[in-house]
Amino acid sequence: SDSAAPCTPHFDVVVIGGGHAGTEAAAAAARCGSRTLLLTHRVDTIGQMSCNPSFGGIGKGHLMREVDALDGLCSRICDQSGIHYKVLNRRKGPAVWGLRAQIDRKLYKQNMQKEILSTPLLTVQKGAVEDLVLAEPEPGYPGKSRVRGVVLADGSTIYAESVILTTGTFLRGMIIIGLEMHPAGRLGDQPSIGLAQTLEKLGFMVGRLKTGTPPRLGKESINFSILNKHTPDDPSIPFSFLSDSVWIKPEDQLPCYLTHTNPRVDAIVLENLHLNSHVQETTKGPRYCPSIESKVLRFPNRLHQVWLEPEGMDSDLIYPQGLSVTLPAELQEKMITCIRGLEKAKMVHPGYGVQYDYLDPRQISPSLETHLVQRLFFAGQINGTTGYEEAAAQGVIAGINASLRVSRKPPFVVSRTEGYIGVLIDDLTTLGTSEPYRMFTSRVEFRLSLRPDNADTRLTFRAHKEAGCVSSQRFERALWMKSSLEEGISVLKSIKFSSSKWKKLIPQIPISINRSLPVSALDVLKYEEVDMESLVGVLPEPLEKYTACRELARRLKIEASYESVLSYQLQEIKEVQQDEALQLPHELDYLTIRDVSLSQEVREKLHLSRPQTIGAASRIPGVTPAAIINLLRFVRSTRQSRQQ
Amino acid sequence: ARCSTSAESLVPSSTIFALSSGQGRCAIAVIRTSGPASGLALRSLTALQEPPPARRACLRLLRHPCSGEPLDRSLVLWFPGPQSFTGEDCVEFHVHGGPAVVSGVLQALGSVPGLRPAEAGEFTRRAFAHGKLSLTEVEGLADLIRAETEAQRRQALRQLDGELSQLCQGWAKTLTKALAYVEAYIDFGEDDNLEEGVLEQADREVRALEVALGSHLRDARRGQRLLSGANVVVTGPPNAGKSSLVNLLSQKPVSIVSPEPGTTRDVLETPVDLAGFPVLLSDTAGLREGVGAVEQEGVRRARHRLEQADIILGVLDASDLASSSSCSFLDTVVTPLLAQSQDSGGQRLLLLLNKSDLLSANAPACDIALPPHLLLSCHTGAGMDSLLQALKTELAAVCGDPSTGPPLLTRVRHQYHLQGCLDALGHYQLATDLALAAEALRQARRQLNHLTGGGGTEEILDLIFQDFCVGK
Repeated sequence: SDSAAPCTPHFDVVVIGGGHAGTEAAAAAARCGSRTLLLTHRVDTIGQMSCNPSFGGIGKGHLMREVDALDGLCSRICDQSGIHYKVLNRRKGPAVWGLRAQIDRKLYKQNMQKEILSTPLLTVQKGAVEDLVLAEPEPGYPGKSRVRGVVLADGSTIYAESVILTTGTFLRGMIIIGLEMHPAGRLGDQPSIGLAQTLEKLGFMVGRLKTGTPPRLGKESINFSILNKHTPDDPSIPFSFLSDSVWIKPEDQLPCYLTHTNPRVDAIVLENLHLNSHVQETTKGPRYCPSIESKVLRFPNRLHQVWLEPEGMDSDLIYPQGLSVTLPAELQEKMITCIRGLEKAKMVHPGYGVQYDYLDPRQISPSLETHLVQRLFFAGQINGTTGYEEAAAQGVIAGINASLRVSRKPPFVVSRTEGYIGVLIDDLTTLGTSEPYRMFTSRVEFRLSLRPDNADTRLTFRAHKEAGCVSSQRFERALWMKSSLEEGISVLKSIKFSSSKWKKLIPQIPISINRSLPVSALDVLKYEEVDMESLVGVLPEPLEKYTACRELARRLKIEASYESVLSYQLQEIKEVQQDEALQLPHELDYLTIRDVSLSQEVREKLHLSRPQTIGAASRIPGVTPAAIINLLRFVRSTRQSRQQ
Repeated sequence: ARCSTSAESLVPSSTIFALSSGQGRCAIAVIRTSGPASGLALRSLTALQEPPPARRACLRLLRHPCSGEPLDRSLVLWFPGPQSFTGEDCVEFHVHGGPAVVSGVLQALGSVPGLRPAEAGEFTRRAFAHGKLSLTEVEGLADLIRAETEAQRRQALRQLDGELSQLCQGWAKTLTKALAYVEAYIDFGEDDNLEEGVLEQADREVRALEVALGSHLRDARRGQRLLSGANVVVTGPPNAGKSSLVNLLSQKPVSIVSPEPGTTRDVLETPVDLAGFPVLLSDTAGLREGVGAVEQEGVRRARHRLEQADIILGVLDASDLASSSSCSFLDTVVTPLLAQSQDSGGQRLLLLLNKSDLLSANAPACDIALPPHLLLSCHTGAGMDSLLQALKTELAAVCGDPSTGPPLLTRVRHQYHLQGCLDALGHYQLATDLALAAEALRQARRQLNHLTGGGGTEEILDLIFQDFCVGK
């Protein structure tokens, strides 16, 4: 199998696809020290935002902060490419703030390409992958075979130690407008058919999902003057822990506008369902309503929001978010002109639907390596997710693990108790998905602990130690922040006055002066009416140094607000982590092991998702508490016999 | 070889308590705690400043930590970890076995901060996690957990029967909806259009729930309705002599007896003392199809009661075994029960062939194969002694099994979780930060889920997507 000719290219990690998962995966693998190749159909589409012109949002913003904490790219690129920064949920508590920005498509692509093309150890090559090179499996690891490289459409071979597939919607992608369908991964790009067949032949379970995108409108043809204008935040909050500010001043940013559908839009959708094969198709769509058709069908007689979002600083296009549609183009035009402000709007491209293959994510482990083929990793929409941020999050994890796998180091897995990335990947790998999976904060058990503000303390140190994928600048900064926070909290705890003294110092706090025990400054900082600045106002010594850095002051306030609940949540986290610490042997064949009493149903469920820990096993529906105890016993006994 | 790798790092930080000795008419009941707050529990109930010498019994007066009300004079044992059954700090209270005392001490423990009722098998599981059990000792653990889970499920079913069950389910539904609305407001409130007043609606629901839970908890009478004792249910086809058997066992005319099939239509229950064990004996309608509406309802209730039974007395007419009603009873009730009771924790069945006096002495009773059974005549009293002997064995198994202790523990558990739910709702009302408010509702829902089951994230998401038009 090592008969590679001397001139045949050989890389540690080959990444197929240059979208949001692919760019993060390639850059992460290279940061970990692997010689990495990024293969893409077209170099000029690297970093393309193929759907909405925005990044972040509620839950998604959390993912971006975590990607950044792992030294990923998208947050930094967004801080250089945004044209309207706005934090959502500002009045709902910092644990659920949603960092979000409208992004200039062109700038994002340019900045991303610049970053990718200048990343050390990372090579970019144009090429369509048609097949995988496979070899005998490596002993001691699960899997029926091992990937050794890829075969390109021109017949050439590239050898690789690990391969990451991030093909998005390109696997047997099909674009649908009205009753017309044609094969395409994205408007104007060819789908991957050979690769889809290869994966199916290897025995991967393939499913089909659908998604859609709205039409694009000419900016000049819209009557903004009669619409609701929405301005960005001032000041802008950057996405990255490394950015002190974003590249553009608030006053130079572009506004968004809001309009609504009306009964005439409903009528056009309902009268033309027979011309709309995407909506009639049985391919599983999500329970939520991504298209205007599903909104009208499921929630009739309502006005639905349409946000008019700029596509770029000097772009003539407007993206009508909320108007994803697959009607024939002429009917889309008719529908658009029914809407207030869009009466004379020019449709530049029609909206369209996409149907594509995805691979049941229960076939991959939390490191994103497939159970079937060793050293083959999947990341992004191929795993059934939707959204740039979900893709980027998987990309970083796949890149790190593909690289760790080459050097035979243990995988880097984020637990549900450590991050949104952990929840995302655990949900996918243990439960699978039958609709495009989107991140919501409601999926996260430990939402108060996994906040956008503290992603660095949760992940940066681990990533630095276990994967080496973090720059020293980031590491130093996170270290300084962590120790400053700890010091600040202990100083705040140590300052104690009677409640009546506090009331005199800061009259606006609604504190009861009858409290008998002294109250600490940390307790006072919990009140909505108090922030670090107001504390420093009355106690400049010793608190002044903690307001010199605005981020530090803000984070101290957040820590104080959640302190009492966090200590309680820590206990629950600990209980979950106990189960996570109990690893299940990866070579276990659940269908045949004899020494453990499990029902056939439970065996099949365990066989399919191959949980890595007792904790993951217990989250699989149908795996009973008794089965878990039997597994526990089995694990303990195998561990014992190994030690002897 | 005992294995302790990684066990040290797996120290659970909550403290659990449970009744760990048998029920029935025991003189002494043992109540155990395990976890870091065990010492606090000991101090709270005994007014001891320092824990007593380790592993030595001492006699103390137990008092309720909040009311100061005396509960019992009890032997107290302190087992500091790691030299204890679970490897954690443990306390044992040996109290006088009456139901009032036991439930009083359990409730007192539930009021100590950091203590909560143990889940099925949790003591054993903690012992296991700390390497305190050898592998052979663990062999039976899964069975034990299955049994405890099953016993608790049956217990919960029994306890949550009727009105109380509907109340709990209703509360859980209201709470889930309120939480779904708050979660929707967090995840979609800003860039999707939720209807106006979503939060206000959640607030209203939570306030109404607080009132309902508060008045329920204050109404002490509801607690008294909960049943204690093993549940013995008499079932069989019509006219097999079930009511005669009930009257004979209870030694009083509980049920009307007549030669007419279908005489018993409702579930008739009577508390009796059988072989020294407290028993709730239920007479049920004969199981048959295709009769009038009233009797059908009786049959439905009979089947429902059957699900809650610890011990089932299946009665057949020995002189009528070939009839379709007898065969159908064997096929649909007896066979599945026998298959089930191989699992520990399954319901126990005694099959009785009544009217043995009608069999002619030399003719074989029947030519069909029957599972193990007892012959009996309620008319002559023949076979009664063997029946009582068999019942005693079964009752000892049911009542001696610590897992069936729960009548008392379940009541404590019930109150504990409802109170926990109510406290969490209070936090919801106070929270100004919506993430904190949602956390309080999640906590409240977790408490109720202990009583009703269910409660995953998907349930919340389903409700959100069903009620709101969100997504892009």
